[in-house]
Amino acid sequence: MKTKLIGLGILAAVIIAAAAYVFISNRQAVTEINGYVGGEKIGLLEDEEVQDILRDRYKLVIDYAKAGSIDMITADAGGRDFLFPSNQTALELYRQYNGDPLKSEIILNTPIVLYTRSAVAQALTDSGIASLNDGVYTVDMVKLTGAIENGTAWAEIGLPQLYGSMTVGTTDPTKSNSGNMFAGLLANTLCGGVADESSLDEILPRLQNIFQKLGYMESSSSDLFDQFLKTGMGAKPLIAGYENQLLEFAVENPDTWEQIKGDIVMMYPTPTVWSSHVYIALDEMGTDGIDALLDQDIQRIAWEKHGFRTGVYDTPTDAEHFGVSGIADEITQVAPMPDASTMDRIIKALL
Amino acid sequence: MKHIRRFTALLLMFSVLLTVFGGCGSEGTEGSGADTVLGSGSSVLRIISGSENAELEPILEEFAEQENIRIEMTYQGSLDIMRLLGEEEIPYDAVWPASSLWLTVGDTEHRIKHAESISITPVVFGIRKSLAEELGFTGREVSVSDLLQAIQSGKLRFCMTSATQSNSGASAYIGFLYALLGNPEVITEEDLQSESLKTQMKELLSGVDRSSGSSDWLKDMFLEGNYDAMVNYECLIIQANRELEERGEEPLYTVYPYDGLSIADSPLGYVDKGEDRQEELFLKLQEYLLSEKTQNKIQRTGRRSGYTGVSEENRDVFRSDWGMQPDRVLSPIKMPAADVLFECLNLYQTDFRKPSLTVYCLDYSGSMSGSGNKQLVQAMEQLLIQENARENFLQASENEINILIPFDDGVIDTYTAEGNGSELEALYDEVKNQEVGGGTNMYAAAVRGIEMLKEYDLSQYTPAIILLTDGQSGGSIYDFEPVYAELGTRVPVFSIMFGDADETQLEELAEYTNARVFDGRENLTEAFRSVKGYN
Repeated sequence: MKTKLIGLGILAAVIIAAAAYVFISNRQAVTEINGYVGGEKIGLLEDEEVQDILRDRYKLVIDYAKAGSIDMITADAGGRDFLFPSNQTALELYRQYNGDPLKSEIILNTPIVLYTRSAVAQALTDSGIASLNDGVYTVDMVKLTGAIENGTAWAEIGLPQLYGSMTVGTTDPTKSNSGNMFAGLLANTLCGGVADESSLDEILPRLQNIFQKLGYMESSSSDLFDQFLKTGMGAKPLIAGYENQLLEFAVENPDTWEQIKGDIVMMYPTPTVWSSHVYIALDEMGTDGIDALLDQDIQRIAWEKHGFRTGVYDTPTDAEHFGVSGIADEITQVAPMPDASTMDRIIKALL
Repeated sequence: MKHIRRFTALLLMFSVLLTVFGGCGSEGTEGSGADTVLGSGSSVLRIISGSENAELEPILEEFAEQENIRIEMTYQGSLDIMRLLGEEEIPYDAVWPASSLWLTVGDTEHRIKHAESISITPVVFGIRKSLAEELGFTGREVSVSDLLQAIQSGKLRFCMTSATQSNSGASAYIGFLYALLGNPEVITEEDLQSESLKTQMKELLSGVDRSSGSSDWLKDMFLEGNYDAMVNYECLIIQANRELEERGEEPLYTVYPYDGLSIADSPLGYVDKGEDRQEELFLKLQEYLLSEKTQNKIQRTGRRSGYTGVSEENRDVFRSDWGMQPDRVLSPIKMPAADVLFECLNLYQTDFRKPSLTVYCLDYSGSMSGSGNKQLVQAMEQLLIQENARENFLQASENEINILIPFDDGVIDTYTAEGNGSELEALYDEVKNQEVGGGTNMYAAAVRGIEMLKEYDLSQYTPAIILLTDGQSGGSIYDFEPVYAELGTRVPVFSIMFGDADETQLEELAEYTNARVFDGRENLTEAFRSVKGYN
């Protein structure tokens, strides 16, 4: 009995010693950096494989608070080592307010795409708004925007089961990045180039008209995407989102994806805009995050598990593992977003 | 390295065990104020939810037992839940309104995390089948205008929840607005100023027989009364029909108005207060609810669930002889932008809804003195002083009537206020200045209330008696029954339980008049707010 107790005591001592060793050695080596992150990247930063690489290879732990891409520029960044917004407009704004940052780098990219159901995709194709080439759907933004502005009913393009007129569901452009970028894309489409201060007077009223028709808008891209998948074709026939949302969903929910993949269609607007996730280092500690996140394996995981296109994977050769059909090899038709001051005026007009 | 990992894992396990056992007995047995407590473990997950989810209690209970936890369910209308989200303290771990709209609009402080839709159900009209046939609503597409015509011609009367408290009522009301405005792309602020809209909407809402603060309560009330139709969730029409069929009564036929349809997506979200254990528990519950097995059970209750609609094996739940269309593409109307939406709701409250005729029978017996009376005065201040009422969408409308009957062992006096102006606020002075003393006889006050109601054309109002009492009452329901029977219509007598009130006396009265008892012991203002949703 006594020996048993002693044995247990030794075991406990060993456990405590071992734990203390792990704890202390980790503490000594690892630096924790902290910053604001747009919500779309949380899946990646929470990925255990990514966290292991950061810790083992770079002795880094990345802690974050979720913030909107524009909000984080104006928020109090005291005590933060970096900002990680979802677009380059945010970097431009940062420069306007604070001058050049210590260091900045684009870490991840994903294009703005449209999501829809197969019946709607068919109708859009039949009516000439969308087209299918080599299994990849593209949407003619000029035609789509025209149909929305004209108040074309869904029934007119052969979808009588859908009530009302054609719209693209987006998040609130004044609150969320994907809606904001889609507004930039629409502004570009309306002026037939890249929207700037000189074209705004003409296009702002038209842009307001398009967004007013949407009525209530969601304020988070992930909520909108979740509703698109769950409330069905009638509720959200066509929405704007990020390419990586569907790719990440398919990897994370393979069983569900297997059931619904026949009906979900991804379409690339032509032209589209890139959501470029740019890392802005605010201090020396923050700069370490750039090298770490550009680690080849992290970049590989960002593509394979979370669907972000990265430096190496911009033109990926290995998209099969997603089990998602219609992923474009290359995003060739891309327009730059309007500049920061133009976007600022657009947002104010849509408030 | 591998060894170290294993040791740490062991250590972790110990510490988890320690926390689990350490937590025992610390949390409690104290009164929770919840409507339903499921399971009996020591860890508690408190959920505030739309009442429609009461139908899922068996499914939640199974989880509570399996995990050895307690789930405390508190039910409120979705708009009340939205308002709660704006308050500093949210005394719940999770929120579960009927639609994500109210979650997004209400969560201005971004305290809600992990919100995910649990099931889908559309807001529909359930109409007594023979009446639906007579009106020609079976086997064809029906527009809101078709329904409005039937209502305007007096052939169709219906029950709906309050548009300013409950999602189903708000959704139906927005659908009505679109139809009366000639189906514009989206409702704008200017559209709402139209005089003809006001006239037509008032006429339309005059067809409302009864109202309630949340959808499941409406279904219960519907089943207790003798009504023709209700606006409610498809899943609750199914529940109602199951009961009607069991009783051998005529079921309701489901009408999906194609130009006024709304979808409730039932999001369950976590209220983030930085408590890891609660978050873990929440995520476990959410995972359980979204698992294939549970989703299938949820579908058996009449909800459309998951990504794939109604499965083959559950098609029998959505019966075509009840007008159900499980394959229908649910194509909803657009909700207006938040500011316009709130303007719509304000107008409903002040201009459009059928005016209410409310008799407040308030207890001024001796036992109310001190804190009881103080709470009563505070609660009435929230209702009668319009500036306060507006914050909760409880403003009076211009034609409504409020009657005050203070009582002790008899009626002390009666006061009547018309409209939403100075008379109403003067009523508050009476509430405040009335002195406390004597015994308790709520029946005497209720009888006087009924007598006063006889002087009005009740078809023009939503009448109700709201009775607040804190003790065992003298007299009996036999004093009340004959006077009530003479009235000819079934006016609900709601009561708010306070202090040492006798619940059986109040329940008896509520059952007899198809009303409900509210518990005001935790929060009296909240109780008054809930009861006001019924008229």
